[in-house]
Amino acid sequence: MSTQAIPADVQAVSGYAGLQPAPASVAGIPPDMLDGGLARDLSDASLALARRFHAGATMWCIAPQWEPHAHHMAVEFVHPVIVGKRALPAFALCAPDVVAQARVSVRPGDIVIAVAAADDRAVRDLMRRTPAWGGLSVWIGSGARPAAGSADHVLWIDDPNPLAPATGRFVIMYHLLWELTHVCFEHPGLLTPPVAECNDEVCVTCSDEGRLAEVILAPSTPFGDALVRTEAGEERIDVTMVAPVTPGDLVLIHAGSALTRLDPEMGR
Amino acid sequence: MSTDTEGTGFLYPFIDAQERGPDSLLDDLAASAQSKVRESSALQRSTLTDCADLVTQAGTRMAERFAAGGRMYAFGNGGSSTDAATFAALFAQPLTGRPLPAINLAADQAVLTALGNDVGFELVFSRQIIAHSSNRDIAVAMSTSGSSADLMNALGEASRRGLLTIGFAGYDGGQMADASEVDICFVVKSQSIHRIQESQALLGYELWSTVQRHLSSGESAPTPARPTSPSQRDTP
Repeated sequence: MSTQAIPADVQAVSGYAGLQPAPASVAGIPPDMLDGGLARDLSDASLALARRFHAGATMWCIAPQWEPHAHHMAVEFVHPVIVGKRALPAFALCAPDVVAQARVSVRPGDIVIAVAAADDRAVRDLMRRTPAWGGLSVWIGSGARPAAGSADHVLWIDDPNPLAPATGRFVIMYHLLWELTHVCFEHPGLLTPPVAECNDEVCVTCSDEGRLAEVILAPSTPFGDALVRTEAGEERIDVTMVAPVTPGDLVLIHAGSALTRLDPEMGR
Repeated sequence: MSTDTEGTGFLYPFIDAQERGPDSLLDDLAASAQSKVRESSALQRSTLTDCADLVTQAGTRMAERFAAGGRMYAFGNGGSSTDAATFAALFAQPLTGRPLPAINLAADQAVLTALGNDVGFELVFSRQIIAHSSNRDIAVAMSTSGSSADLMNALGEASRRGLLTIGFAGYDGGQMADASEVDICFVVKSQSIHRIQESQALLGYELWSTVQRHLSSGESAPTPARPTSPSQRDTP
């Protein structure tokens, strides 16, 4: 065994606890990583995942910059490390055009989970389209946070190190997501979300709220309907107010008409 | 609430759960997650302390091989296979530092299924070591049990061919800890596969950092390529 002393710069960067008292956050997982709301975000996401899986969801895993994380998330759910836990449907999506691959894969009720930086354009696009496909979006990352509301569940680690994805911090995030999701399965009474009651103030159906839709087919005639996809499935809508539209456009619809188009970098 | 409902509530735990809502469960989940993070954090720190000398030793020897033109093969099964891929990517496509030749042996589905189907899964990595490696290279196996047959076969083959062999294991190290074919074995002393993998990731990161520091300091320049006297220099 080597008796070579570890140089001071090595100690400073990597925090060898046995040689000098280094801050725990130098490279490894800080003990308080989940403080400041992340523990609750993780719990909320886990219950949401359990409810979706309970209703038949498939989970689609994406990590364009760190593809192995997509595979690790998928294998975690498909082939649990604890014998006896349910195998759950999960796939890694790694095509060069991950949005196109997700579009054809995601069905209403599914889960789309990404590990990516906030400035990852493909993942930003994916997260904003997921509601139009009826998917639940979960975004894991570190560094600068994505804009508020960028995904249904944002699980963000406060760590500016761009190499954080290779230090175990992301691995523990989806390990915990898996562990907590399976804890939720032990509470069958909570797996069916309460049905939203219709009242005049908040009901989507009765209110003026727009629904997100993605154009599948543009109208074949000037005043024809477009075929769009929403969380409820496919429907034909009037698009004269936002014409012309092309496949892939995101529009807000209400009462059978597209009211406005969302430009590519607009939030949800 | 009427006394009648209170009296029969125990018969309807399902309804009771609905009435309470998910708040208490969510509180429990959050507390459980925080406790697991503290556990993983402590294990990472104790693992780095325990393995500090081994990381230095392995990083030095790896840097020498990279400097001599060697490449690294990383491999594992399941989640550890993805961790091996992350480890290889850290070397080959680092955001900072010198990119180094590192390959994840589970990446090619054609090779993996051909070998698995034709010669058996326990040989999927060792056959690739035979095909690809030279004695300057490095073989890194990531495992939690430390005893997977496909990994042990590959490490044995690599050792016979003169590669530097490095194993990552959990629990008590399994076969990797005792095998003479394994030059350096990192053992994360835990019984939880998840916690083991989280500490192995940080060990891998430390190993990469150590290699990078050696290569940037020039200490690992290959001896044969270094001029031994001014008269042998053919450039200023």
